[in-house]
Amino acid sequence: MNFITAYGHLQENSCAVNGETICRRDKNSGDPWFRQIYKEQEFVYPKFHKMDVLSQAGFLTSELIKRANPQFAGKYKDDEIAMLFANRSGSAETDQKFVHAYQNGTPSPSLFVYTLPNIVMGEIAILNKWYGESLFAVLPAFDAEFYINHCNLLLSAGSEAVLCSWHEIAGNQIDVFTFLIEKEGESRFELTTNTLSKIAFEGNFHKTEINANYYY
Amino acid sequence: MTYIGAELIISPLGKTTEENCTAMIANRSGISLIADAGFDHKSLFLSKINDPDGQGKFTRLIIQAIETIKNEIDDAVLLSARTIFIISSTKGDPEQIKDPFNAAVSAVQQKFSLANRPIVISNACISGIVAINTAHHLIRARLYDHAVVIGCDVLSDFVVYGFQSLFAMGDAPCRPFDAARNGISIGEGCGAVVVSASEHIFRNPSLQLLAGTTANDANHISGPSRTGEGLFRSVKKTMEKNGITADELDFISAHGTATVFNDEMESIAFDRLGMSNIPLNSLKGYFGHTLGAAGIIETAASMQMIRNGILFKSLGFQEQGTSKALNIVSGNTVANPETILKTASGFGGGNASLIIRSI
Amino acid sequence: MDDLKEELKRQLIEQLNLEEITPADIDDNTLLFSDKGLGLDSIDALELIVLLEKYHGIQVTKPEEGKEVFRSVNSMAEYIRKRQN
Repeated sequence: MNFITAYGHLQENSCAVNGETICRRDKNSGDPWFRQIYKEQEFVYPKFHKMDVLSQAGFLTSELIKRANPQFAGKYKDDEIAMLFANRSGSAETDQKFVHAYQNGTPSPSLFVYTLPNIVMGEIAILNKWYGESLFAVLPAFDAEFYINHCNLLLSAGSEAVLCSWHEIAGNQIDVFTFLIEKEGESRFELTTNTLSKIAFEGNFHKTEINANYYY
Repeated sequence: MTYIGAELIISPLGKTTEENCTAMIANRSGISLIADAGFDHKSLFLSKINDPDGQGKFTRLIIQAIETIKNEIDDAVLLSARTIFIISSTKGDPEQIKDPFNAAVSAVQQKFSLANRPIVISNACISGIVAINTAHHLIRARLYDHAVVIGCDVLSDFVVYGFQSLFAMGDAPCRPFDAARNGISIGEGCGAVVVSASEHIFRNPSLQLLAGTTANDANHISGPSRTGEGLFRSVKKTMEKNGITADELDFISAHGTATVFNDEMESIAFDRLGMSNIPLNSLKGYFGHTLGAAGIIETAASMQMIRNGILFKSLGFQEQGTSKALNIVSGNTVANPETILKTASGFGGGNASLIIRSI
Repeated sequence: MDDLKEELKRQLIEQLNLEEITPADIDDNTLLFSDKGLGLDSIDALELIVLLEKYHGIQVTKPEEGKEVFRSVNSMAEYIRKRQN
């Protein structure tokens, strides 16, 4: 049996770890939302500012999960932590910025290198020195069963833990749910379709409008 | 045992596997000089499919691939609830910039009334190998019995301008592993293979697919590791998992993009793996770099090498251009390769490998 | 104060998203690509080629040319003046 041992939600106006809100968006701040979190949580990783939004979201949620679970990273060898990410629109958000750049001037190399959805996993691998397996899938919507099936495959093929994320950012809509799967954990967080779906939508109390047009 | 067969290649060299194979035997390249292709209207060497129909190429190529391979497998497989379709692509449909994958996936599912919605795998240039490996895992775990794996990427201003901005495009048809190499030739194409728990679904005899792996370089998002760490780790893991040693490998179908740093990285990784003497090629000289399709097209071509008893020349290679020597196939060679290692490396620090074997 | 060099520092920060750095943090001689300096990487180098074209109308066709040019703000300013004359 596998367990959800930590999780984080990042949405348009709030950021939560293990179900508890740790940051709310300040509409009057001069900083973009993700930078607000970065500053408030006192992260120091200058490369953050060069990342696209998908990578920034991956940095923030994975680092917050690590903070909530400080013994986690030390438990495993450098190739035992796999990553399993998915979303609906790939890197469309950054793709559009790149198109805008070349239509209005010059193609930007630093934007182009982020126009692939798996780059966020590369950034997390670099930061943590993780050499493990990684998989990025595009699905029409969050699908608990997809994560469960593929976590089971990874965990039975040599990985000991899986950092998962539903990683969707489209325009102003931010729907990021990052969670950690390990082989040991608390019984109430056993990795089942029910538990995972329940936790995934925990943060969605303010998102009825988005959900309405999400499943078509 | 897991079986792989019904391989298909659609490229500028042809619409069928046979046409592509004939072209490779003749060492013909799909790469040509395309006028006005680049930013600032520069002419560039690309591997472009002549396509008078214009719009909707991405979806059309995938549908064309399925129409072709359905003649190579049992009728029931396509529509079975035990069959999963996996689509490997980096950019999807360039005409759908806001949602590049979902319309195409829905169109394909509807067109063939597929029981399950196809999964898209998008792991940059290793997507194709990751997709085949995922098919293998899903079948071994008995979640499905069959997987149709299709890799497709089409040319677009987006991708061409992007690689131009990285100064990664060669100013001649690409020359993988050669001393004079100076960059990639981008290509477009579609490749497909069918992976199954049963050998009886194939009209032609199948080959064996052995478990593959991925490993990250944990080094840089767009530059290959100087030590080949991720590729070294992925290949080592794949070999150990299958209990195979280097002397059992008859051939390596390498990634070989023809950028200075990628090919150098691969030579270091294969040297560290004790594989410098194993005959090796890159197929990019025939197809260009077809991104998300590359791993599948090149696996399909490797299967053709096993079936036809030939090692295809590494087109564009003349003189050693990496710090570690490799045994690069400099002319078509008659041989009987039984076990082939296929590798890929890409942006995001990803590296992937798999092994195919004759039965 | 050299206006071109001050302008370059502002452009560097903007083009490369160096959020936590101000022009005052960059010396004319700071090594841009050394870890003891700004610690820029290969993608930043390509972005500097974009910067030269965008703000100064200078085209660099071979990234290798950038190596010496992008050593520091001093070397960049020198190169721009040479190319503009």
